[in-house]
Amino acid sequence: MLKPRALSDVLSQANTGGIGSTLLLNSEGSLLAFSGFGDKDASAAGAIASNIWTSFQKSGQLSLDDNKLDCVLVECKLGKIAITKVANLLLCLCSEDGVSFGMLKTKITALSSYLEEPLSQIASS
Amino acid sequence: MTEDLKSYLHKQMASVENLHAIVVTDRDGVVIVKVANQMAPDTALRQSFLSVFGIMTEQASKMGMGNNSKIINFYDRFQTVQINAHPLLLHFIADRNANTGLILELEHVLADVLQDVSKVVTMM
Repeated sequence: MLKPRALSDVLSQANTGGIGSTLLLNSEGSLLAFSGFGDKDASAAGAIASNIWTSFQKSGQLSLDDNKLDCVLVECKLGKIAITKVANLLLCLCSEDGVSFGMLKTKITALSSYLEEPLSQIASS
Repeated sequence: MTEDLKSYLHKQMASVENLHAIVVTDRDGVVIVKVANQMAPDTALRQSFLSVFGIMTEQASKMGMGNNSKIINFYDRFQTVQINAHPLLLHFIADRNANTGLILELEHVLADVLQDVSKVVTMM
């Protein structure tokens, strides 16, 4: 079964080089695991990230005839966010503005690849 | 003048390999000007698709990281680069393997054009 502390330790490995927090969300946008700095409301950010993912996935399916959304990169004035799917969950990385999109995408891809198998086992059990 | 604008946007679209469409809309996704080649899905050039970014950019601005400026989506076959250039929205539709950095650079190349178009929108 899932070990919360071990999961949090794995998520924290992404929190270097300007990446402030890593979130794992379920399909409804609820926070499953969090690792990070600062006092920002991770639950609210996670819910919005989940909504963004779901909306673009649906619109892609309808309008691009492409139902496989791989990654969403969001740039805001104070930072960047990356969102991807892992097993039946969403992984979200939040970084400072100075982190480049390339690094953010590389890190989230590496982390999601690492978590895919163990989280898929949980999902299927 | 619209034809000159479209011609200029066509030229910029051709400067990035596998970029299939450049669309400028208002905040509701209503198309102001668009250029596209035959590889761009027609349904992706309509308000029903383009308006999603207008809603999501407002949502993203509430994540506690300041106002949202751009959202990039990577699908299996396509990527969309969508930029909040208030009061306009700028949409790029390209192949998944197109160079995202070059597409992002077009925002700066098109800055003057967007400024002129936005004056018209704000006058209305």
